[in-house]
Amino acid sequence: MELTTPGVATLRRDPDQRALGDAETADAALAASGDGRAFERLYRAHVARVHSLVRRMVGPDHADDIAQDVFVRAWTKLATFRGEAAFGTWLHRLAVNVILARRTTLGTERGRYHDSADILDGVAGRPAAPELSMDFEEAIGRLPDGARQVFVLHDIEGYRHEEIADMLGIVAGTSKSQLHHARMALRKHLER
Amino acid sequence: MTDQWTDRLSEYLDGELAGTERTAFEAHLASCDACRTTLDELRRVVTNARALDDRPPAADLWPAVAARIGLSARSQARPMARRFSFSVPQLAAASVVLALLSGGAAWLLGRRGAVATPPLVVSERTPTLLNAVVYPGDARYAAQVADLERALARGRGQLDTATVRVIERNLRIIDRAIRNAQSALAADPANSYLNLHLAQEMRRKLELLRQAATLAGARS
Repeated sequence: MELTTPGVATLRRDPDQRALGDAETADAALAASGDGRAFERLYRAHVARVHSLVRRMVGPDHADDIAQDVFVRAWTKLATFRGEAAFGTWLHRLAVNVILARRTTLGTERGRYHDSADILDGVAGRPAAPELSMDFEEAIGRLPDGARQVFVLHDIEGYRHEEIADMLGIVAGTSKSQLHHARMALRKHLER
Repeated sequence: MTDQWTDRLSEYLDGELAGTERTAFEAHLASCDACRTTLDELRRVVTNARALDDRPPAADLWPAVAARIGLSARSQARPMARRFSFSVPQLAAASVVLALLSGGAAWLLGRRGAVATPPLVVSERTPTLLNAVVYPGDARYAAQVADLERALARGRGQLDTATVRVIERNLRIIDRAIRNAQSALAADPANSYLNLHLAQEMRRKLELLRQAATLAGARS
């Protein structure tokens, strides 16, 4: 995961996608003027990324609703997108904010950040055979809320501990600890 | 199996151990099979995480999103008023894409037989810098263009004739491209490629007008 701007995690983009990124910047400007078709193109381009982020952060039950919230929020905030970063980066950070704001109603807020490896026993202590066959995504979904959110933000999305701590309202040391516990649990679900 | 270093493995993996701590850890690692094995597993976890594929939702969310923001699922434009503004980077980005796509667009438009592009004729009359093109689908865009054209007209006297001529010539080229795209879209409204091309041409016009108005303003 590359970081192009300090403090901003980027969507994974290869150089060949830069022209597409430029087109998306143009579409974002057009959408900001009220063009629904331009916004739909942006939705089509990013819905898989946004939905996957939501699903990993809060689980599948509320993923559709929250992903919708992200795009509705993006529509209302398009005027604040100035083109300094890629549209995908802007949308991604907005998505994280929407997800984190929903944690309160979903009961996954700060209180779930237990700084202990014990809470991962439910993930790490499964029988050997199911572990080997368990899908890696499913294993992530079985992590406790706090460890899962830190793992998704750090190892999948590329945020730094300081950023994660700020977003989640925890200290960086807790973020590091949660990440390590999550990794230790997930290593048991690696395909051999 | 755990030891005093087990909880530091992720920090080492992420490059967060430095100085004497790193040196001490690496010395330990050389002699500890368990830590080496665990470190390798953690590295694979990170690799797996970065390789995860994104999956779209099972059902298309666009109809619901469109409804919530006041658009039909196959919307054309938003009914509510909205501030219209572009940044220079946005406009510059649009021009880059235009350069990449212009060849393809010309081919596509040519295939459709929409409007043949006449040879460029440079007007010898005094340039007016006012070239009204109607944009029925976006009144705000038209207003923005009109504002810039008026600003440019006010400062036109500060520009030399050659500069004015170049600006006007480029505006005619852009307007022609806009008309071509609009004609092609009239026959194929859902063509996303043409929609993008039209959007980029419209923004290129805005960018040119803005630059020209800025230039004229700077000299007045």
